[in-house]
Amino acid sequence: KRGLYRKRRGLYREGLLSDDGFRLDGRRPREIRSLRMRLGLFPRADGSAYIEQGNTKVVALVYGPREVRGPRSRSAPDQAVLRCRFSLAPFSGPERRRPRGGEGRGSDLALRLQQSLEAAVLTHLYPRSQIDVYSDGSHCCTGTTAAALAVLDAGIPLRDVVCAGSAALAEGTALTDPNGAEEAAVGPGLALALLPASGLLALVQLSARVPCERLEPVMEAAADGCRELHRALDRELRRSLRERHGEV
Amino acid sequence: MQTSRTFVKRTRAGAVVKVVREHYLRDDIPCGAAACRRCPLRPDAPAPSLETQPGGAASSLCPGPHYLLPDTNVLLHQIDILEDPVIKNVVVLQTVLQELRNRSIPVYKRIRDVIQTPEKHFYSFTNEHHRETYIEQKKGETSNDRNDRAIRVAVKWYSEHLKKIEDEEKIQVIFLTNDRINKEKALEEGITAYTCEEYIKSLVANPELVDRLACVSDEGKEIESGKVIFPEHIPLSKLQQGIKSGNYLQGTYRASRDNYLEATVWVHGDAEEKEIIIQGLKHLNRAVHEDIVAVELLPKGEWVSLSSVVLQDDGQNEDDIETEEEKENILKTSVSKDMLRPTGKVVGIIKRNWRPLCGMLSKSEIKEARRHLFTPADRRIPRIRIETRQADKLEGQRIIVAIDGWPRNSRYPNGHFVKNLGSAGDKETETEVLLLEHDVPHQPFSQAVLSCLPKMPWSITEQDMKHREDLRHLCICSVDPPGCTDIDDALHCREIENGNIEVGVHIADVSHFIRPGNALDEESVKRGTTVYLCEKRIDMVPELLSSNLCSLRSDVDRLAFSCIWEMNHKAEILKTRFTKSVIKSKASLTYAEAQMRIDSATMNDDITTSLRKLNKLAKIMKKRRIDNGALTLSSPEVRFHMDSETHDPIDLQTKELKETNSMVEEFMLLANISVAQKIHSEFPEFALLRKHPAPPPSNYDILVKAAKSKNLEIKTDSAKALAESLDKAESPTFPYLNTLLRILTTRCMMQAVYFCSGMDNDFHHYGLASPIYTHFTSPIRRYADIIVHRLLAVAIGADDTYPELRDKHKIADMCKNLNYRHKMAQYAQRASVAFHTQLFFKSKGVVNEDAYILFVRKNAIVVLIPKYGLEGTVFFEEKGKPTPRLDYNNEVPSLTVEDTTLCVFDKVKVNIMLDASNIQHQKIQMVLVEPKIRGNDVPANLSTETSSNNEPEKKKRKLRK
Amino acid sequence: MAAVTMRLPVPRKPAVVRAPQGPEKHLVAPGDTITTDTGYMRGHGTYVEGDKLIASVAGVVERVNKLICVRALNTRYNGEVGDVVVGRITEVQQKRWKVETYSRLDSVLLLSSINLPGGELRRRSIEDELAMRDCLQEGDLISAEVQSIFTDGALSLHTRSLKYGKLSQGVLIQVSPSLVKRQKTHFHDLPCGASVILGNNGYIWIYPTSEQRDEETGGFVTNLEPVSMSDREVISRVRNCIVALVTHKLMLFDTSILYCYEASLPHQIKDILKPEVMEQIVLETQHRLLDLEG
Repeated sequence: KRGLYRKRRGLYREGLLSDDGFRLDGRRPREIRSLRMRLGLFPRADGSAYIEQGNTKVVALVYGPREVRGPRSRSAPDQAVLRCRFSLAPFSGPERRRPRGGEGRGSDLALRLQQSLEAAVLTHLYPRSQIDVYSDGSHCCTGTTAAALAVLDAGIPLRDVVCAGSAALAEGTALTDPNGAEEAAVGPGLALALLPASGLLALVQLSARVPCERLEPVMEAAADGCRELHRALDRELRRSLRERHGEV
Repeated sequence: MQTSRTFVKRTRAGAVVKVVREHYLRDDIPCGAAACRRCPLRPDAPAPSLETQPGGAASSLCPGPHYLLPDTNVLLHQIDILEDPVIKNVVVLQTVLQELRNRSIPVYKRIRDVIQTPEKHFYSFTNEHHRETYIEQKKGETSNDRNDRAIRVAVKWYSEHLKKIEDEEKIQVIFLTNDRINKEKALEEGITAYTCEEYIKSLVANPELVDRLACVSDEGKEIESGKVIFPEHIPLSKLQQGIKSGNYLQGTYRASRDNYLEATVWVHGDAEEKEIIIQGLKHLNRAVHEDIVAVELLPKGEWVSLSSVVLQDDGQNEDDIETEEEKENILKTSVSKDMLRPTGKVVGIIKRNWRPLCGMLSKSEIKEARRHLFTPADRRIPRIRIETRQADKLEGQRIIVAIDGWPRNSRYPNGHFVKNLGSAGDKETETEVLLLEHDVPHQPFSQAVLSCLPKMPWSITEQDMKHREDLRHLCICSVDPPGCTDIDDALHCREIENGNIEVGVHIADVSHFIRPGNALDEESVKRGTTVYLCEKRIDMVPELLSSNLCSLRSDVDRLAFSCIWEMNHKAEILKTRFTKSVIKSKASLTYAEAQMRIDSATMNDDITTSLRKLNKLAKIMKKRRIDNGALTLSSPEVRFHMDSETHDPIDLQTKELKETNSMVEEFMLLANISVAQKIHSEFPEFALLRKHPAPPPSNYDILVKAAKSKNLEIKTDSAKALAESLDKAESPTFPYLNTLLRILTTRCMMQAVYFCSGMDNDFHHYGLASPIYTHFTSPIRRYADIIVHRLLAVAIGADDTYPELRDKHKIADMCKNLNYRHKMAQYAQRASVAFHTQLFFKSKGVVNEDAYILFVRKNAIVVLIPKYGLEGTVFFEEKGKPTPRLDYNNEVPSLTVEDTTLCVFDKVKVNIMLDASNIQHQKIQMVLVEPKIRGNDVPANLSTETSSNNEPEKKKRKLRK
Repeated sequence: MAAVTMRLPVPRKPAVVRAPQGPEKHLVAPGDTITTDTGYMRGHGTYVEGDKLIASVAGVVERVNKLICVRALNTRYNGEVGDVVVGRITEVQQKRWKVETYSRLDSVLLLSSINLPGGELRRRSIEDELAMRDCLQEGDLISAEVQSIFTDGALSLHTRSLKYGKLSQGVLIQVSPSLVKRQKTHFHDLPCGASVILGNNGYIWIYPTSEQRDEETGGFVTNLEPVSMSDREVISRVRNCIVALVTHKLMLFDTSILYCYEASLPHQIKDILKPEVMEQIVLETQHRLLDLEG
């Protein structure tokens, strides 16, 4: 605990934003990290997606819609059941971590993932089915985006591609899409899942204390990041669609 | 475009982890030159700071227009020159800034301030993120070499880039480096490079700048003798290994004030603090006071004890190493064998703690010499060799010098001249010196700080009224000392319907203007407190706030933080409430005015009646407090009457305390206690509180003994007992005794300190006999109050919190700084008083005054002169005179000189005069006149003069007798 | 000692040459507005919000008169009556089996929809119900035909033909359902000596061509006689050929498999899966198919 405190303080001293308005990694406050994505990497799953956002790497897999496994009471007569799991690879942090079962942080993140996806997936089209989403990465926002893409890849109807992004508040400036070092310094801040076409918010989670008057700019920064993400994803999505449609 | 940076890092736990960070390279970073049309300019970006026609000093080396691009070392060492207004149009690379930040935070801050000054035309270029100037570290290349290369690449880029500007006269970029190899490489690559010295010397119009060059010749230039005097310092990495393995010890080096060949190192270990003696020039090994050093212990056979010899380093010749050794031998022989203590030698420096030093030039005896020795005012700092051509001009002046380095072959460290403060003894100069010596930040507020101030004309907006109560209708008034411009408290009192009394303390809402984290806040926390000197006030916050917007002046709307109680007529608190408010003070009174209103029967207006009520309540509260065991202590406080023209002190006067003083004080104490309770109950982990620890019983020894000598008993087992016995300690024949006892008691006390509630569990305030206490009532002049205001505002939901406020470690760190600043402010204040006392006696000449003995020492007595509140030491040993027979009795305590016995509290007569023999350390000298001691004669010519001066005193004494 | 082939990753490039495409396809992603014209009917893969018709899946917009639907690339199998499917028994329930057919819900095979051994027109007795596990148990593979579709989207299967029934020895491959070409028959005895069942649901079954079918067993008896080495090799080769075709997204039908098989003959069976060989074989196949089309 003390170590963490020291680390945070160290970064504070370094300054997250230079006087010329650049962040530690050379981005400006409202810029997102570089983005790469691929769809359908795993033939075994119904849908899969891989996203690289900066150094965050996420794989998402979707199985389903399919018959509900386990007790029948889990199935819903009028819609599909969405089941999400979120796991962090043991090597996804700076230090190798012992895998901690399925619970703990995983389930908390899974809940966030589920909330975001439930807002987007048209589950009513698949009564009594189950859709399993597995997201495996080091960051919940990227994980959510990847999961949405995997769902899309599985051909499951979606209201919109969910784009999730985060923003943190450092020295009074809202930083879009903070990287690991920045998160370590000021905490994760705000996570946002946006349905870009309609502008609806699927999830807002504030995990740090942000002063009321600063909330607006932080939200705006996060939403900006989501929109930017969406533009990039859309480009990539269309490219891969065109490619694959040429083939069939 | 992007590349990733990978590096390996060792964690706290010792594991090695690989860290991969992204590093984006951009193509939208402008070069900063105003003439450049090629660089993309963002719409919100500030205008390019480098001038189209670079002005600045004309250089004979480079007559054309040019920009300067210094490397890290130039910036680090020559910051004094770069800050000169002559130097303009400088490109500061990000690489350089980053290196600088790792090496010296103060210099980094200074250069940042320079960059923000528009007139200087400094531009910081983010070269590490520029696509064309970023370079990868090559295999086998050290990061230093890599950075040097990065700088060269950036210079190269700049010169290519500026060539593309379509102007008649091409602007050149000049690379400044003092590193020979770097310069050679740069020249090879076709870069115009000079050393800083070359360039500065080429400035035709400004020869005086040369003096301020730091003499850090990195190699080659041997100074005088090539003889190596000192052993080499062990490199840092090896030191750390050694410290880990226990071979070396890390500690703070503290030079001795009296003996330049001796020092102690305080080892800050985990278990107990240990002191190690360092003796001899070679063992001291170029460490300077306050440095963090690594020490190796010597074998036990070589251990010594602290010598009591006074040695002044006054050799003018630099080569007299042999004589040094002789002196060291003197030290050794004088060691008493039975009290040997750990002794060691300095093997390396972990961190230099050099700061600019005040002092005076000791001009070289050789005519036309350019090298001179500089004697710092602080005797613990060795003399410094500087190079200057203006020695004649600087002689007798107080100057500032910075240390640049201390080569192995040099007897003294090298430094350079920074600034001339003015002639010694001059009032402004001396004030400046004492501020610098006490580390009081007193520079004018920077542009960045001033930009955080509200724009004038200021008015209260709708936004401000959120969370605020309008108390403008209340009859609020302030009571302060005369001439006070920073009024931070005001009071009101009224009867309410249920017959109870509502009392309000309204404190200036400074935290409304100083928002956490901005430049203004940073500056205020750095200053920590307003420093009051005799004729000057060093504000903690800019004047606009301290004397205007935050000052609760009468008849203007002001923002306040109010603490409002409902009390019954027995002054018992029924309800307490806190709120941010807007007030309009009806009157700003002085203590005397308020007293007059209370006393005069004819006045019955609102203000006067509420003052009377307040006064009545205050008396009850004071009594209750004293019954609880609060101490009333006294210290002789004096005020100087200044000549309105010359601002020289013409008279002194001890402060007079009126009833109204204690009335205001009483309510302030109450507010502080109420707030302390509130914030501690809301934030038990990170409330900023103030405590006053009970002194250890042994502290009272001297007091008890002294009282005993007058047949009085002082009980010290509790604060209450102490207070009561002090009250009883009266002597009908000696009315001043009680005051003296109280003064002595004050000396026994501990320092009150700020602390963070989560880091301590003893909250008691001994002096006030309060279980909890904080500072809330003077946010204009104390930073602690601002933090308390913020905490309270969060507690009542009137303001937002921020992470640092909730971090108990941060609060604890801040407390440490505040305590330090308060201590320094106090010292500075005392030094200022002392200086003015000197001025006073300088003008007054030699006088004889009545005095009381406060302490008795082995070879001296400490006396207090009530008339001036002045304390001084009368020595019975003098250089060049035979020492009188001294007999010290610890029990009474008393000192017998020859055949005269001096006891504590004895009334004596002393002769006071100014000893100006050492211009740098002027002091008041006191000599005992009465009772007369054989062989301790006062020069006859002086005594005649004093008799006339002292007429009234004598009369009084006669009367008393 | 077995030799191990190690391969380093190389950038992939689209290998297969394409015939020039027709007009630019209308591609959409979820959330894209397809049309604001209210005169259209909402089909699969779309939803309506206000006046807007919005895509809910990523894929190609298809218009049939007034109906607009979006066809997604990969989806689960959407069964149609009459489709041939291959599936695996997942559960034995009262009077029915649950069959996993890569549909979004498990399909149902009713006890009444199978031919029981010993005559076609037999009454289903309690004994039959108790002996259901003797016919088919969990994990068994069957081939069947879609008989009807329940309201919740689940399929009802039947095996009332001698073609269908339990599968014994062979290899199963799972491919995307969209890659199986709809044909008159999905049972093919390839001239190379293996037979395939191309299930519409993307399950492909490859098995040795048997001389005669035991018509009396009702297709529920497994033939456990060892399959000859040569047959096994042929089956493996066919399997790898199908994988190759699927990897390059070519449609599966008897001719394409056969051409591919022939193209693969110069190579060892295990080499077919090497990307460069695969690419070469598929290219050859494709050229022959294009030639066939004229």
